[in-house]
Amino acid sequence: MSSNTPSSSAGGVGSADSAAPRRNSKRPKYSKFTQQELPACKPILTPRWVISAFMLVSIVFIPIGVVSLFASRDVVEIVDRYETACVPENFRNDKVSFIQSPSTNKSCTRRLTVPKRMKQPIYVYYQLDNFYQNHRRYVKSRSDSQLKDNSSWDDISSCKPEDDANGLPIVPCGLIAWSLFNDTYNFSLNNQQLVVNKRGISWKSDRDSKFGSDVFPRNFQNGSLIGGKSLDPTVRLSEQEDLIVWMRTAALPTFRKLYGKIERDLQPNEVIHVTLENNYNTYSFNGKKRLVLSTTSWLGGKNDFLGIAYLTVGGLCFFLALSFTVVYLVKPRRLGDPSYLSWNRNPGGH
Amino acid sequence: MDSKTPLENLYNIEPALSSSSRRNNLSANSKSLGGNSIREVNFSDLGPKPVKYGSRGAESEIYSMSQREINDEDARLIQINDPVKTNERFEFAGNSIRTAKYSILTFVPRNLFEQFHRVAYIYFLVIAVLNQLPQLAVFGRFASILPLAFVLLVTAVKDAYEDYRRHRADKIENNRLASVLVNHEFQQKKWKDIQVGEIIKIHANETIPCDMVLLSTCDPTGVAYVQTINLDGESNLKTRYAKQETLLKIPEKESVSGLIKCEKPNRNIYGFQANMEVDGKRVSLGPSNIILRGCELKNTTWAVGVVVYAGRETKAMLNNSGAPSKRSRLETHMNLEIIFLSVFLTALCTVVSVCAAVWLRRHRDELDYLPFYRRKDFSEEEEENYNYYGWGLEIVFTFLMSVIVFQIMIPISLYISMELVRVGQAYFMIRDTQMYDEPSNSRFQCRALNINEDLGQIKYIFSDKTGTLTENKMEFQCASIGGVDYNGGKVSSQDQKDGYFVQVDGKVLRPKMVVKTDPELLQFARSGKETKEGSHIHDFFLALAACNTIVPLIVDTPDPTLKLIDYQGESPDEQALVYAAAAYGFMLIERTSGHIVIDIQGERQRFNVLGLHEFDSDRKRMSVILGLPNKSVKVFVKGADTTMFSVIDRSLNTSIIRATEAHLHSYSSIGLRTLVIGMRELSTSEFEEWHSAFEVASTALMGRARLLRKVANSIERNICILGASGIEDKLQQGVPEAIESLRTAGIKVWVLTGDKQETAISIGYSSKLLTNKMTQIIVNNNSKESCRKSLEDAIIMSKKLTTMSGTTNDTGRTLGASLTPVALIIDGTSLVYILDCELEEMLFELACNCSVVLCCRVAPLQKAGIVALVKKRTSDMTLAIGDGANDVSMIQMADVGVGISGQEGRQAVMASDFAMGQFRFLVTLLLVHGHWNYQRMGYMILYNFYRNAVFVLVLFWYVLFTCFTLSTAINEWSSVLYSVIYTSVPTIVVGILDKDLNRQTLLKYPRLYGAGHREECYNKRLFWITMIDTVWQSAVVFFIPLLAYWGSTIDASSIGDLWTLAVVILVNLHLAMDVNRWNWLTHATIWGSIIATFICVIIIDAIPSLVGYWAIFEIAQTGLFWLCLLAIIITALIPRFVVKVLYQFYTPCDVQIAREAEKFQARSESGAVEVEMNLILDHPRQ
Repeated sequence: MSSNTPSSSAGGVGSADSAAPRRNSKRPKYSKFTQQELPACKPILTPRWVISAFMLVSIVFIPIGVVSLFASRDVVEIVDRYETACVPENFRNDKVSFIQSPSTNKSCTRRLTVPKRMKQPIYVYYQLDNFYQNHRRYVKSRSDSQLKDNSSWDDISSCKPEDDANGLPIVPCGLIAWSLFNDTYNFSLNNQQLVVNKRGISWKSDRDSKFGSDVFPRNFQNGSLIGGKSLDPTVRLSEQEDLIVWMRTAALPTFRKLYGKIERDLQPNEVIHVTLENNYNTYSFNGKKRLVLSTTSWLGGKNDFLGIAYLTVGGLCFFLALSFTVVYLVKPRRLGDPSYLSWNRNPGGH
Repeated sequence: MDSKTPLENLYNIEPALSSSSRRNNLSANSKSLGGNSIREVNFSDLGPKPVKYGSRGAESEIYSMSQREINDEDARLIQINDPVKTNERFEFAGNSIRTAKYSILTFVPRNLFEQFHRVAYIYFLVIAVLNQLPQLAVFGRFASILPLAFVLLVTAVKDAYEDYRRHRADKIENNRLASVLVNHEFQQKKWKDIQVGEIIKIHANETIPCDMVLLSTCDPTGVAYVQTINLDGESNLKTRYAKQETLLKIPEKESVSGLIKCEKPNRNIYGFQANMEVDGKRVSLGPSNIILRGCELKNTTWAVGVVVYAGRETKAMLNNSGAPSKRSRLETHMNLEIIFLSVFLTALCTVVSVCAAVWLRRHRDELDYLPFYRRKDFSEEEEENYNYYGWGLEIVFTFLMSVIVFQIMIPISLYISMELVRVGQAYFMIRDTQMYDEPSNSRFQCRALNINEDLGQIKYIFSDKTGTLTENKMEFQCASIGGVDYNGGKVSSQDQKDGYFVQVDGKVLRPKMVVKTDPELLQFARSGKETKEGSHIHDFFLALAACNTIVPLIVDTPDPTLKLIDYQGESPDEQALVYAAAAYGFMLIERTSGHIVIDIQGERQRFNVLGLHEFDSDRKRMSVILGLPNKSVKVFVKGADTTMFSVIDRSLNTSIIRATEAHLHSYSSIGLRTLVIGMRELSTSEFEEWHSAFEVASTALMGRARLLRKVANSIERNICILGASGIEDKLQQGVPEAIESLRTAGIKVWVLTGDKQETAISIGYSSKLLTNKMTQIIVNNNSKESCRKSLEDAIIMSKKLTTMSGTTNDTGRTLGASLTPVALIIDGTSLVYILDCELEEMLFELACNCSVVLCCRVAPLQKAGIVALVKKRTSDMTLAIGDGANDVSMIQMADVGVGISGQEGRQAVMASDFAMGQFRFLVTLLLVHGHWNYQRMGYMILYNFYRNAVFVLVLFWYVLFTCFTLSTAINEWSSVLYSVIYTSVPTIVVGILDKDLNRQTLLKYPRLYGAGHREECYNKRLFWITMIDTVWQSAVVFFIPLLAYWGSTIDASSIGDLWTLAVVILVNLHLAMDVNRWNWLTHATIWGSIIATFICVIIIDAIPSLVGYWAIFEIAQTGLFWLCLLAIIITALIPRFVVKVLYQFYTPCDVQIAREAEKFQARSESGAVEVEMNLILDHPRQ
């Protein structure tokens, strides 16, 4: 039955096909691909392989864990929680009215003792707790085009409820900018002013590309409700680094923001006097405020978690490697032994 | 040839006949039972194999119910050669066709409408629409629509391309030319302009443009041959006839007019019913008078016909529909799990909204001034709430928003991936060289694209016998003539190698197929009919040559002096008999509507065919009434022994009858198909009586089929036995081995055949279905009560036999291992009483105890009934395989239908889900491809559940740290691309290409197929383990960065990038851990996806207008980021790895052991298997 169907496979390229393809034949062209015989590696979890894998993981993880732990321990950190301490005794019961009242004296002095030698640069952070910078309403309330470009200064559609004040658009608009952190810190060591460098605390990419150099604050904090820090309307946005840092919203409700850098070493037992202006209202939501001075390591700040995690996992793998070795020695199984096939194991099979 | 004046001759002999169209009816092909009556689309009985049916009266009565006459109201009136008048009252379709679905204008709406028929897309759409509401806008407008738009666009482009090709094909088709009669001359007209009622002339080898009733042909008797390969795939020529009344009209000269009243357009290509009024006479038309669009005219110089159906109303167009869609078992299971996932999704959303509610309530006094909430908007004159709609509504909104954020929990992309994977799997099945059938030049065909994985779980195979297990190439083996058995056919001497031939006009005429002959019988046949034996033999072969519907075709050969006779017909049995008759010197030379010419031992004789009663499944016999040259009239009958012996006159030749019965028994016990042939001479009065009855019956308008059957029964009686024939139906290559493999694999093979019990049993033995070790239980009963009793006995016996031999569990693990397997043999008569009543239950119970079930003498509908019997009662998968029209109902009933694209036409293939050339390919299909597909699909579904759930859970954990406000650290673009780019390709590629075992191993250990039966790759337990693993992994992904970055300056975008990358790498490595075979494509896609993700994240973070600008560059500079990534990946994967190792090492499944064996024993055992199969090209290394 030779049909005159168009030959789809005449002259097959398939090299290993012994049968020469007939003309008009519909025989599928042979190739390793179409026959699903591409050369392939077939990994099998042999005991040796498994034990070596576990050993490898533990060999890699345990040193990393140790190194991370050391790195974290090397970091010297001074944390000072001040949100209650900086409210005068008589206002302790009504902190909100204290902080909202324009007449109260918000100044406060703190003493920090350096526990260990701190090498420069020493980073100054403020840490807020229970402040949801990742809240949906909050995160959305900003206008990136307005920050970037002076010509779209009235692009405030996404900024509600802090979009305009007195009928004029706010630059920078939105809840994030409005709630800019406005506590200030002044450090002195031995009655000498400790210089805090506030330049270069934000990402360079933000300064260059996200915040325009021709955008100046306008009509900012002019509404009936003041949320936070006011901005100098003569300073371009790309140089308002506190704002830039603040606008990079934190991922988690407990976060630190970089305030500045102290570019000198601190010796153990030196006492730093901090004069701070306690302006920022975290009292309405029971937020905590901390001042943090910290050095850094290659791993970042002080956090033992990763080191411990690595040590745990590495140790676990080591234990697994050992126990698999023992189990394998006690109860081995020959791989690929047909007598283990279910029909060979069951009596009654022929 | 002397066929010049056949009509005159006929008229002379029987002038009375000329008044009717009877002769045309006589020669109508055997397929249309009951003459011209139309049948509803009922494939079950249209089969071309007369002897195969085992249906009983009960069914046949039901069938005949479907026969109906034309009522006026649903008739279609066609004025011949008057298209204007024809079309003025009714809107008949023109002949232009449109297979294209869309036009440029309608494309967008219609295509969208069709695409949204999928539930998945509607889900997408609802989510996207929800997201457009300002209160709920979680994602940006564009990002939320993108995935849906992408999928829609891809599908639309694909549809548009396909439609463009259809448009082009339509255009070519519509602009073809045909000769149409306009003003008494034939003019060329485009196909699309042809109208119903016009007269068209077709020339040889032209394609017929529309469905036409034949008016006249070049042949004086009005015969035309058509090839219907485009319609039903059958390559043999079919004969079609023009009616006597219109035969002599020449449209160019005289105006032809008349009225055709025919049925409404329908898709039954084997049925047509109409009346034609021409010259005041009323003529009935049947399927043999119509030529259909798409057929080609062959061996006929020209034919003229009138258009009755055009364009989309033609039968060819009406049949243009796809295979019925089935849904795979795995998908059904999966849908259950999806329901669970929806519950889980709802639970997550509820948790979020309840938490949000509590939070809002607790802070309700602070909300106005909270810096990160600020409910009040002070900028307006009046302080008003901004974007706050009250506590209750906020909760509802939170719920809806969480649905939007967690939407991919329901793995909608899975449906699309599954379709792609199935297409890929089908590609490889079609390309498999081991499923290519050389003799018929046919590849494997995948007609249904959604049940690939079901092939890996088949538990029952229902197989037809003839044409499926056997080749359906009938070969005449032996004959019992006059009580003498001639079966020495195997010794064919050299001199008769070319067989019998005759010489005509100096040219040699020879049958196309050479049949081995018995020398003794040949001698007798040549000796003439003087002796008693000789006359018996003469009549016997005359009956073989005449009593059939075979059309001889003379085929030219390169040698001008040699011509071959090709016997074309629908029944291979008849072909075999006619070839056999020719080999013994009774060569059928010519068949027209009124006479046949047979060359008897070199002497050309002409017989008038006075009447023909076609085969029907009720009578199971056919008869022909011949006017012999010596003016005597004889009726020759041929049929199945059961019905023949009831019409044979037992008082005559008792010894011959007895001897023949004995021979029949021995023939069928060696697996031959038997037919009994008888004859009777009719007296003039008898003939007259029959003739007038026949005349009335064949022109009757009501109940024609029933009347004709009655007439046939009246003449087919008191038959004198001539003998019996034995035809061998050869087993297909490799069938015993295939059945052996399938049964070892734990699949129960049931054979359902229309053949006799003895034949069926003998085929059973030769195909190794039955073995000598088996105990046979035979159920043959004639009443319900006796059926009940024998079933009860059989159940007790089978239980005794199987329990004796140890435990048999349901999983099929020890199936076939019992010491005394039981075979059940049951016949159609008993099944009549058993099916559709309470006995079904008993039969099922009995059949479950048996390792083999053989049903013989079953009717097509009974086949479906048996399949339904099993399907209803078990959750096991059933597969039906068959080749003929009588298997269609069974194929459609079974979970998986396989058609054999062999000898018997294409209906089985058209109805099937998969089609292939040989039964033995079933082994490759099930054991190899089925196993692979099942394993791949099962893993893929689980993996997709896991993949989406892990991502959703990471989002969920984060929501717990954002005041339950559904903000995401992960960039919205990354969320959208996660299932589109980041993780989609590897799972599809692995779903298409991964192989847990080699083809060689799977074939060597058929029992590995049990993995599918035991649902090893996808089950509830695996699902739950996967889900627990998912929760662990998501927790690791989320909490390691959370704890590592707690109280640090990390911003949301940076940690979001870390989570994105961690999830994607983890999910891809998880897949990598489970891949069984790593070829370059797997490597490319898995590592490629990870790299692509990095690139995408970098690109997204390089867009200054997004919040996360430059985040990845900042965070990637820190060591913490990389350490977190490493810790996440290792920690997340450890539990899975440990469980996997323990499981594989201490409770290994069969597949695992075989895989190890494949790897470690390949070298030591090379040889046997590899030689047999293809070369093993991939050398395992390590």
